[in-house]
Amino acid sequence: MNKISSKNITILALLIFACFTVLSIGKVAESSENVIRVGAPLPLTGPLSPEGKKQVEGYDLWAETANKAGGVKVGNQRYRVEIVYHDYQSNTPRAVQLAEKLITEDKVHITFSPFGSGATKAASGVSEKYGIPTMAATASSEEVYNQGYRYLFNTFTPNQTLTEPLSDIVKERLPNAKKVAILARNDLFPLAIANVMNDSAKKRGFDVAFFEKYAIGTMDHASALTLIRAAKPDWIFATGYINDLILIRKQMGDLGISASVVTMIAGPAYKEFVDATGPLAENVTSASWWHPAVRYKGEDVFGTTENYNKMFEKKYGRVPDYAQASASAAGAIFQVAIEKAGTLDRKKIRETLAGLEVLTFWGPIKFGSTGQIISLKPPVFQIQNGTQVVIYPSEIQQAEFRVGVK
Amino acid sequence: MLIAQIIVNGLVLGGLYACIASGFSLVWGVLNIINILHGSFIIIGSYVAYFAYNYLGIHPFLSVTIAAIVLFLFGYLIQAGIINRVVAAPVLTTLTLTFGLELLVNNSLLAAFKADYRKVILENPLGVIDMGGIIVPLDRLATMVLALILTGLLYWVLNASRIGRAIVAVRMDREAAALMGVKVKQIYAITFGLGAVMAGAAGSVMSVIFPISPLNNILFLGKAFVICVLGGLGSVPGAMIGGLALGMIESFGGLIFGPEHAMTLAFSLLILLLIFRPTGIIGKRGYQ
Repeated sequence: MNKISSKNITILALLIFACFTVLSIGKVAESSENVIRVGAPLPLTGPLSPEGKKQVEGYDLWAETANKAGGVKVGNQRYRVEIVYHDYQSNTPRAVQLAEKLITEDKVHITFSPFGSGATKAASGVSEKYGIPTMAATASSEEVYNQGYRYLFNTFTPNQTLTEPLSDIVKERLPNAKKVAILARNDLFPLAIANVMNDSAKKRGFDVAFFEKYAIGTMDHASALTLIRAAKPDWIFATGYINDLILIRKQMGDLGISASVVTMIAGPAYKEFVDATGPLAENVTSASWWHPAVRYKGEDVFGTTENYNKMFEKKYGRVPDYAQASASAAGAIFQVAIEKAGTLDRKKIRETLAGLEVLTFWGPIKFGSTGQIISLKPPVFQIQNGTQVVIYPSEIQQAEFRVGVK
Repeated sequence: MLIAQIIVNGLVLGGLYACIASGFSLVWGVLNIINILHGSFIIIGSYVAYFAYNYLGIHPFLSVTIAAIVLFLFGYLIQAGIINRVVAAPVLTTLTLTFGLELLVNNSLLAAFKADYRKVILENPLGVIDMGGIIVPLDRLATMVLALILTGLLYWVLNASRIGRAIVAVRMDREAAALMGVKVKQIYAITFGLGAVMAGAAGSVMSVIFPISPLNNILFLGKAFVICVLGGLGSVPGAMIGGLALGMIESFGGLIFGPEHAMTLAFSLLILLLIFRPTGIIGKRGYQ
């Protein structure tokens, strides 16, 4: 091996010095630019990581679109959007710590909530304490918003806005349907939606013949499904996340269970559900807060829903689902509010959000007194011929509701 | 009728559970290593089956052989190259090592395949047998039979082959086996490889039943743990009985206490068993 000469060392040292100089100049240049920093604690690893990654896709698309359009207009100046991500590893206490770190150390101006109702509720106390406007893109349960907090806003209407129209449709199309079976994952959102389904069904005179919970991490649903089969329900309503619902649908097939209506929340909104269950997905109904088939002419950075779909497909090569769109919408709503407020003053942003009435690609935006959005009309959809088609509301209906799931 | 269906459900599920646990039990029993990688091994087996079916058209029940070869090599190399260096250390050291390796392997799987849930959808589904209202899903039944055959094969290898006897010998007395000319480190690597084979084969046949995602590793690992403790550590029949017992307990637990408490019941019984019979239902020393 050659001995390293002092000349080589000098050259190396100069190179390293040059690198650092370039890097530091870059940093100076960056810091002199106007930047809006947005904090996003997300589950990027662990069991919730598929959801966390969807959020990243949505937020990134908003940041990129806003920056391409010259940035967010604050008064007479333009601000570049920078999203600061931290991974809370699907561990809620860690999400709370990271929400605080984003505010105190990373000095973000505004934040997005962690994933789901549970973690959002846990972390909402932190942003409230520091008075940081926060947008929850994946939390629908009312329990999150009835804490009297002023800085928390969101993009999902309460859970019953999903089950009420569904129940109306089933009641109208199947006036003789009587029995409903509900199988729910024992988890904040899946259980909350099962409970409101129970209410919606009872209100319309359905007989809830079976209502059971299953534990998180259940690998076999045969017992529960055998009991459901024995109850002979007209309508089976199963809640959980995609992994659970794929397994439940598969085992329903295995046990030869059929019903006039099978509804699953939340899973069928994702293409993976259809891919993983194949023909068994046919005629399964579901509801979500958004669907790529909705059509709105927004005043936000994305403009129309069609345009949003197009941009998403261009960047990621697939159709967006409601989780990704909600994340983009959370960003776009912030942008509208900041531009309207004309300042980065958090209190002013909060006040603008509270009084905001605007149409976006996501739908009409108006928040109630608790900060939860009250203006959306969530679509009901059904899987027909391997794709999700909207069956409600009538303005955007793509197909007639089909009865019978084998 | 309902009871008969619940028994069938429990038996079929138990067969799958036995398959999940046998490799884990082998490695724990012989090497005294709690192999945290086991869940990811099962998932790699499932991915082999998924890609073999969707791109090469090989049925998951046949791609078991491919999964077995891939996993054997992987397991052998991990043991020979890494774990053998600390194999004589206390169990906590090897546990930490396999935990670290698990983080690496599982995150690599996440990076390679993403967290999406996939599933093997057979072009010609096997359907169900309806025996007067008692439904037996054929794919589960076939998977269970295959799992039992594989477990039987492992039992045969350990009992009848030279390598199997060497594994048992090392399990019973490492020093004595070494003095008799058994290459202990190589036997360790082969044992770990065999454990991985069982995991991979289980993953491959189960790909027609469970959704496939790197995130399911913990579910499989957790079940393997419970089954081993339930059935008794370090014996193939133990894994079999533990698996069937867990399947039945969960099945009846779901019926009697509601699906929510099926797992609670299983874990409560496990605690009772640990107190009153810590060796498991048929706990034995060694693979006799």
